[in-house]
Amino acid sequence: MNGQPDALPQQETPRTPAPGIGWEEFSRELVEFFASIKLAMFLFLFIAITATIGTVIQQNERPESYIQEYGENTYRWFLRLGFTDVYHTWWFTSLLGLLCVNSLTCFHKRFPGVWRSMKQDRVSVSLDFVKGMKQQAEVSIASSKEVVSQRLAQYFIEKGYKVLAKSDPGEVTIYATKGVLGRVGAHMAHLSATVIIVGGLIGTYYGFQEFGVCLEGQTYHIPRGNFDLKVDKFWIDYHENGSVKSYNSTLTVVDGGQPVVTKTISVNDPLVYKGIWFYQSSYGDAWDQVEVARVNIKDKETDKVLKTIDLEWQKEQSVPDLNLKLSITDFVADFAFNSTEKKVFSKTVEHANPAIRLAVNERSTVQSTPWIFYQFPDLFDIKESKYRFELVGYKPKKFTGLQIAKNPGINIVWTGSTMIVVGITLSSFIFHRRIWIKVIPASEGVTVYAGGTTHKSQIDFQKEFRKLTEKLRTFSASPHEPGA
Amino acid sequence: MVRSLFLFDMTFWLYLSALTLYIAYLFARRPVMALVPAGHSTDSFDERDGAWATQLGQIATLITVFGWIVNSGALFTRAFERMQTSGTFAPWSNQFEAMAYVSWAIILGYVLLELRYKIKAIGAFVVGIGFIAMGAASLLPYRYQTAEPLVPALNSYWIYIHVSITLTSYAAFAMAGGLGVMYLFKERAERRGSTSRFYAAFPDLETIDELGYKAITVGFPLLAFGIILGAMWANYAWGGYWSWDPKETWSLIVWLIYGAYIHARMTRGWEGHRAAIYAIFGFLMVVFCFWGVNFLLSGLHAYA
Repeated sequence: MNGQPDALPQQETPRTPAPGIGWEEFSRELVEFFASIKLAMFLFLFIAITATIGTVIQQNERPESYIQEYGENTYRWFLRLGFTDVYHTWWFTSLLGLLCVNSLTCFHKRFPGVWRSMKQDRVSVSLDFVKGMKQQAEVSIASSKEVVSQRLAQYFIEKGYKVLAKSDPGEVTIYATKGVLGRVGAHMAHLSATVIIVGGLIGTYYGFQEFGVCLEGQTYHIPRGNFDLKVDKFWIDYHENGSVKSYNSTLTVVDGGQPVVTKTISVNDPLVYKGIWFYQSSYGDAWDQVEVARVNIKDKETDKVLKTIDLEWQKEQSVPDLNLKLSITDFVADFAFNSTEKKVFSKTVEHANPAIRLAVNERSTVQSTPWIFYQFPDLFDIKESKYRFELVGYKPKKFTGLQIAKNPGINIVWTGSTMIVVGITLSSFIFHRRIWIKVIPASEGVTVYAGGTTHKSQIDFQKEFRKLTEKLRTFSASPHEPGA
Repeated sequence: MVRSLFLFDMTFWLYLSALTLYIAYLFARRPVMALVPAGHSTDSFDERDGAWATQLGQIATLITVFGWIVNSGALFTRAFERMQTSGTFAPWSNQFEAMAYVSWAIILGYVLLELRYKIKAIGAFVVGIGFIAMGAASLLPYRYQTAEPLVPALNSYWIYIHVSITLTSYAAFAMAGGLGVMYLFKERAERRGSTSRFYAAFPDLETIDELGYKAITVGFPLLAFGIILGAMWANYAWGGYWSWDPKETWSLIVWLIYGAYIHARMTRGWEGHRAAIYAIFGFLMVVFCFWGVNFLLSGLHAYA
């Protein structure tokens, strides 16, 4: 950005030397610092370097796993520096904040100049100004100043330049410009950083993310949206080779007692209702219900399997030839017993020690509800019964894991994202070129002074400028012949 | 499966031949015009050798274009094969295919560059990187090379656009890295006052520098777009647009690194030598983001 002729000589306000360091000078220095490219580069690299920390050290783990991997001392340092949750530390957030300040100050300092160059007549410049440009040339042409300036203007218009010309008694000044959009784009990108971060903050403070484990056929209340969600069905589709194709849940939103929307969600296809998104996030085997269990009925004396039956969850089934009525009343995936409350519960969600509770009704005289263990078939015995029951297999009910999220900042984030992509694209492929030309009558014909500048792609511009000067030289050949 | 793998294999050999020819082109004797002393006419030998060099260059270009067509064919065939196994067809759905796609994009970029600027010497470096990408892909074990059906998280139309755009940006950064290496070669030769014919076909330093810068200005917005498309996809699949997963963090890191470069170019002293070294460094970071993260760090993107 150095050497940018944003401030034209005549627009520059004469600087009055301030005694000592006045407030004005201080604030100017401050703006200078915060708008500087050096600060931008430093922030980009420093954020890049610190961001690597969170990819090497696992984030938000339990303390034990850090201590196990790194030792207690290192872990203490991790806590002090926030390395276990780098992206939410005060210093990382401050770096992002500084990046916003940096880009906003840059916008504040430089955009007015870009705006002026779009809106204002910048044709009033001095000869010295033209001569002082980075690219400059001086060509003598045997022709009149009217003809030369007209052909020049035509040349620029053909090249897609916007042309302004000003005729003074002794000279003609031409200002040609092209591609200011590239610089507008850069500033659009600068603003986008703040837009994205603001959107992110709104999402953090006014949004939420929750996780819910839901069983088929059950209805759950969503307090944040004040409506109910019914999980109709969960199932998995498979490819021919047996790998999983998709996880699906059919959900129905019940609002005010009425079913409103029914949608089958899958991993890449969430349900959205009242700004709350429901994602298919995981699934698993329920730890307190089975769909069906297979039970062997054995004769106690001969130890022979008399019958194998499949029992559905909490549905009584008769076995007439054995005079039995059976049903499953309970299931736990990992059997445990709470002795104070005298209650059976599942210790974990793992199917480590599964057991069913079987309600047995034999000849309507023997009634019992033993726990039958998958791994320990001999543990329980009904003394009065002729039979022994063995759990040989079961099909657990599946639960569907739903992620429930609301992010009111998301559209702001997408706005910022669009700005950054459009902005960088414009500034990458369009570069701002400005050329000033003075046509001044000389003793024989005219002398043309040309000066030009660009903020990047110097080599391309140099070529373009060389072409312009070559073109200028042809003007003197025979100015009246068309197409010379 | 066999058909596409055969074509990928063929691509590998074609790129290898093209690279060899480009290097041979650099070594081919050609008249070094600047060094012919005044008064001495260039003798006929040199002229004939120069013609030979031109021919070599032409063959190199032809083989490169042919290799690129075979590469396209391989990707098409793979897309067709994917269609039959999993319903989606994006031929960049695993590490192997992604590498093959990157080399396709690098070679396409190179061919366009050669068409526009007519500098064949760049081929020795940029086709070289395209070849390495293809070579690294074919070194992957066979089970990584086949078109297995996609896991549910990847099974989405987002894969077409997010992955291809991101990989295209990697290709642009790869080209910039290759040009950076070329810059350093040429610079060293100039510093030593080398009169070797090897460097005679090289464009001047400023041009190499500017082309490298251009490649980065193409890659930079593409990567931004790729990251944002990824965020949009994540918002559909994972329930949040940004979760600081190692892959997305690393792509942001790479983007920030090039962001610093883009800004540095505006200040004095950041063209030429420093920019070339920086472009190579940036490319190494891209390689880490593309390969290292998949194989060294765990995270949501661990699909490979």
